[in-house]
Amino acid sequence: MIRFDGIAATKGRFELRDVTFALDPGAYGVVIGPAGSGKTTLLEVAAGLLAPSAGRLEVGGVDAHALPPEDRRVGLVYQHAFLFPHLSVRENVAYGAADDATLDEAAARMGVTELMSREVRGLSGGERQLVALARALARRPRLLLLDEPFSALDPRRRAVIRREVRALHGAWGLTTLQVTHDFAEAGMLGDQAILLDGGRVLQSGTPAEVFRRPASPYVAEFLGAENVLAGAARDLGEAAPDWIDGAPAEHAHGHRAFAFDSEGLTLYAVGDFAAGAGHAVIRAEEITLSRDQRHDSARNRFAGRVIEVVTLGALTRVTIEVRGVPIVAALTTRSATELALEPGLAVVASFKAMAVHLC
Amino acid sequence: MSDAPRSRALPRLLSVLAALAGSLLLLFLAAPLIELVGTSGGEGLRRLGTDAELRGSLALTALCATTATLLGALGGTPLAYMLARRDFPGRAVLSAVLDLPLLIPHPVAGIALLLLLGRESAVGGAALEFGFRIIGTPLGIVSAMLFVSAPLFVSGAREAFAKVDARYEGVARTLGDTPWRAFHRVTLPLAGRGLLAASVVMWARAVSEFGAIVILTYNPKVASVLSYDRFTSFGLSEALPVAAALALLALLPLTVLRALRPESRAER
Repeated sequence: MIRFDGIAATKGRFELRDVTFALDPGAYGVVIGPAGSGKTTLLEVAAGLLAPSAGRLEVGGVDAHALPPEDRRVGLVYQHAFLFPHLSVRENVAYGAADDATLDEAAARMGVTELMSREVRGLSGGERQLVALARALARRPRLLLLDEPFSALDPRRRAVIRREVRALHGAWGLTTLQVTHDFAEAGMLGDQAILLDGGRVLQSGTPAEVFRRPASPYVAEFLGAENVLAGAARDLGEAAPDWIDGAPAEHAHGHRAFAFDSEGLTLYAVGDFAAGAGHAVIRAEEITLSRDQRHDSARNRFAGRVIEVVTLGALTRVTIEVRGVPIVAALTTRSATELALEPGLAVVASFKAMAVHLC
Repeated sequence: MSDAPRSRALPRLLSVLAALAGSLLLLFLAAPLIELVGTSGGEGLRRLGTDAELRGSLALTALCATTATLLGALGGTPLAYMLARRDFPGRAVLSAVLDLPLLIPHPVAGIALLLLLGRESAVGGAALEFGFRIIGTPLGIVSAMLFVSAPLFVSGAREAFAKVDARYEGVARTLGDTPWRAFHRVTLPLAGRGLLAASVVMWARAVSEFGAIVILTYNPKVASVLSYDRFTSFGLSEALPVAAALALLALLPLTVLRALRPESRAER
């Protein structure tokens, strides 16, 4: 549906460089990046509001070079809504609506039917975003471009609207490209995650792939990986079946076992990596803590001491020191309470070889 | 302990001096006009009933200023939009050229216009061929008013367009509008108050113009030229009612601007 091929574009101090990725028709793509990475600029190029200085852009299989925004059948929702202040809510939603039935459905799905008779000026930030979503959807676009569209909504409403947008995306056969800084949202919504930083695509793939297999330590940290260790990998040969969770013996072929040496620790990993200097990434939720040595399939098992326990609602982050190296584990607060974790306590941290990603 | 009172005294003294300076300037600006309108405003209004030349002059002034403003808005609006939205080579030079009429003495502006529009010039000569005389007619008055006051419209209109975030137009484009339709349906309404305010400022400036008009078209007399003519011919007493009537006429745009301003603050 949309293909970026070596796209470069500049808007003020924001710059895109050599952006290449594609979204198939019907796909839900999520662009993740920090502030200033060029996410909004990317959407504006897709919408035709900003001409690229290099590269090729295809929309609907057609070279978009000569395709003005009004002919691209896109729906664009900025983070700050940009509702037309001189028009009422109804006039805003109806502005480019395909027909009355689509208008009514979009308004109902976004929960703004009761707001239709009101003026824009009196709306809250969340209401403005919902009206902007309804306005874009009422046009029945084929490509929906969303710039942090749920940021002003409270958590409960955000969850509801997220579901509605995803449902409409499926029901209407839309192709959607959404910008967010929230990777959890990317995982919930996206078929494809595109990581953008400094105007460049760092990695793209399914959210699970990107999450589990970050292309670089920078991407890993960007996605919130708490344990990123520098060191060197040694190829140990073909991995034994018991290194790979639940896989029968014949599936061990093609998986190689590695030892990764870092600051006095040796971790074991399995996958398709290259030996030599690099980084090991272990997500905090992959690490299990126990008060004693337990016998399980985890290849990696280390004794350490709790340094810090931070409770964040239903989750607790525990930092332990293992031979001078801080390791962060995430577990449910219930589990943390049952283990009676507190600073100074001796614990055993364990994680599987499959949980270690080398990059 | 003895330092504390001294350290408070200086800022207090500076505040008093600042207030005094501001008050003196305000007095200097307001006093002549209050004196003029206060002593002669009534007489000026009475003369409107009896002085046909005064009535005609004020009507001519208002009509020419309105015509100049309409022409200025017609040409100045696309210019202002382009300056507000587009980045192009020579933009700074263009802005400087637009500011020039504001900087040169107005009799000099009149002389420059005379060169361009006079009988001996290509433009003036061509106009005569088609039966139009510019110098010494209301056309000459409109030309002078347009020259000196249009830059004020362009400046104000440019600011009005710049205040309208370009993303409104972008959203309108994605909703199916062509650039002209987006301008017409979104940008123009949102910039409307600012454009109106710019028009009022231009009109006020046009009404009060003297230096360029007196070179191009002494007759028929606009109000500013009439007040000068009455002063030089008959003295202060005859000039005062005309001057007061013109000052009252200048209050009109001020009132309109005040009416526009409170809402434009809320829109921001």
